[in-house]
Amino acid sequence: MSTSTGLEKDSTMSKRRGQFIASPISGQEIVLLAVIAILWLLLWWATPAFLTAGSIQPLLIEVAPIAVIGIGMTLVIISAGIDVSVGSAMMVCGVVTARLLVESGISLPLALLVAVGIGAVLGAMNGVLIAWGRVHAIIITFGTLNVFQFIGRQIFGSETVNGIPPTLELFGRGEPGRTFGAPHSFLLMALIAAAAWWYLRQTPGGRHYYAIGGDHEAAELAGVRVRRRVLLAYIVTGALVGLAAIFTIAKGTATLDQSIGFGKELAVIAAVVIGGTSIMGGRGSVLGTVLGALLVQTVTSGVTQIGWPSQLSDLFVGLFVIIAVGADLLRQRARRDR
Amino acid sequence: MTSTPAAPPTTAAEPPDNGYDDKTPRLSSRMIRAVLTQREVLLVILTVVVLIWMSALSYGGYLTGPYNSDYLSASLVDAVPLTMLALAELLVIVSGRGGIDLSIGAIVSLTGMAFGFAYGDWAWPLVVAIPFAVLVGALLGAVNGVLVAWLEFPALITTLATYYAYKSLALVINAQQPISTPEIQDLYSLTSSVEIPLIGHNIPDVPLGVFTFLIPVVVAVWLLLQRTTYGRRLFAIGTNDVAARWSGVPVAGTRIRAYIFAGVLAGLVAVYMTGQFASARPDAGTSGNGLALPAITIAVLGGVAITGGIGRVSGVLLAALLITWLNAGILLLFEGNQGTQLQLLALGAVLIFAALLNSYTTRKYGGTR
Repeated sequence: MSTSTGLEKDSTMSKRRGQFIASPISGQEIVLLAVIAILWLLLWWATPAFLTAGSIQPLLIEVAPIAVIGIGMTLVIISAGIDVSVGSAMMVCGVVTARLLVESGISLPLALLVAVGIGAVLGAMNGVLIAWGRVHAIIITFGTLNVFQFIGRQIFGSETVNGIPPTLELFGRGEPGRTFGAPHSFLLMALIAAAAWWYLRQTPGGRHYYAIGGDHEAAELAGVRVRRRVLLAYIVTGALVGLAAIFTIAKGTATLDQSIGFGKELAVIAAVVIGGTSIMGGRGSVLGTVLGALLVQTVTSGVTQIGWPSQLSDLFVGLFVIIAVGADLLRQRARRDR
Repeated sequence: MTSTPAAPPTTAAEPPDNGYDDKTPRLSSRMIRAVLTQREVLLVILTVVVLIWMSALSYGGYLTGPYNSDYLSASLVDAVPLTMLALAELLVIVSGRGGIDLSIGAIVSLTGMAFGFAYGDWAWPLVVAIPFAVLVGALLGAVNGVLVAWLEFPALITTLATYYAYKSLALVINAQQPISTPEIQDLYSLTSSVEIPLIGHNIPDVPLGVFTFLIPVVVAVWLLLQRTTYGRRLFAIGTNDVAARWSGVPVAGTRIRAYIFAGVLAGLVAVYMTGQFASARPDAGTSGNGLALPAITIAVLGGVAITGGIGRVSGVLLAALLITWLNAGILLLFEGNQGTQLQLLALGAVLIFAALLNSYTTRKYGGTR
């Protein structure tokens, strides 16, 4: 950095800063769109059946639960936290809802209320322990991962929940689950994503999350109620986990087994990080997360459609995460050096 | 954070000034402080409580089997891999800057498969196959180390990504099939119990792995941390890596080696577990919730500060014994599936409790030591 061009640089910098905030879509998101497009073209070339409604609709249905949890996880990670307990929490929400559907025959609104409510309570547990216990989120949620799994398995009792009635078919794979060919679960996810996108970009409350992730002490001194915000982020994540559990039951068969939610935390965290949200906090967007979820699910279904062993998809997701983190670090360095 | 922990003999290390002047603290408050800041004291008390409680239940006939010294000694079979992996986490967490290794269980799986191929399929001699497994472990650890230390990736997300990558490779490499050729099955003798010479007939037989794996590793890690320049540097970069850099410590190199050592320990665990199961399983370290979780739990319970720079081998060792004997007791207290599920609950609850306790002691007394 030479001093002679300092002034010029300053003015371009502020201009660029302004654009960075105002632009509705960031560089990472354009790159992601391009990568997804290339992957879809490659898959289409490898298996021509890929780009048909019969193949895209299931893909969108699979994306919905990951992306919907990812919206909450984006809030959590922007505020420099993390939640690895979402898979186990989803198991608890799923099994309670499924058993109520079978044994009490509850209606769809009630099922939604139960699942979202339980999810919010589990999220609140995480949030209280993290915000008031002053322990790093990874440790707390690692612990609650086990506790939730214990609770879930206790409620499962025997091996599976059988004979789930088609109450949730509004979000299912069948004809009642679609409007003009688009799955309802995906549409609802998109609606929530749009709301969260608006909240994070346009409202003071949303901007507070970026402030907390950037420097939580500075945010506290600037008058942000850090603990309340953090607690809210985990509660929202929990509630969305409940919604994802509904989607998952709806897209499944009449039988729910104990594998529900297992390992979902990776898919979600990968989606968020691939979407350009910085794991160190302070930067990120919901739009990126949705695209990230689309990419993760494309890789997962692509691997099986080509006929490779399905376990291989974890390898590719892991590599994509490392690439995304690397890109984030490069961006950060570029910003620092400018 | 406090300074790097002193060598164990210095007992009267003063906690930092906590704001008020108490010249003669009462005995009770001194004891509370000792229990909270000397993690070993707390762990010994808890272990004794667990042992007495379980023995009482056993005496009263509430358990499905006897909880006696033979059973406790036999359950050390499980303590061997857990302690070694917890020591691996100790090294990585102490190295600071959010250091953690979530991929450790996946390294065990993948290295175990490599060992299975070398020893079981290609019939390499054991003296070549074991170093080969250790080398593979070191290599996988080095991948983490290079990403985290050189390229300054956050450890949490990096090792989460490599966890899935290694786990996936371990499953795909032999099409999800375990390797259990006769050579591998013979390795089961590694975990048999032996009578200790001279005093052996007075005390229960101890699993062989305690002598061949656990004790050498514990001694080596203790020497590494307390008696070498490398150990001092590791604590230095974990406490404050900017200060360490200014005092001429090669920060990246030191940190990379912490991840490599963790990989080496995981490689040894892979060999041990291959013997324990009498087969090289592709999910040896990743089945269920994997081995990383108990390893991290034991490290945190043993007083390792997640922020880096604080941690001792003795604490980790005692925490591993506590968890092992607690788990062994739970298995006798509740039959079958219920028992394994309660172990999940116990592990999770203990992790949260230990982390909250660490955070509280750090705030009140300036940390465990």
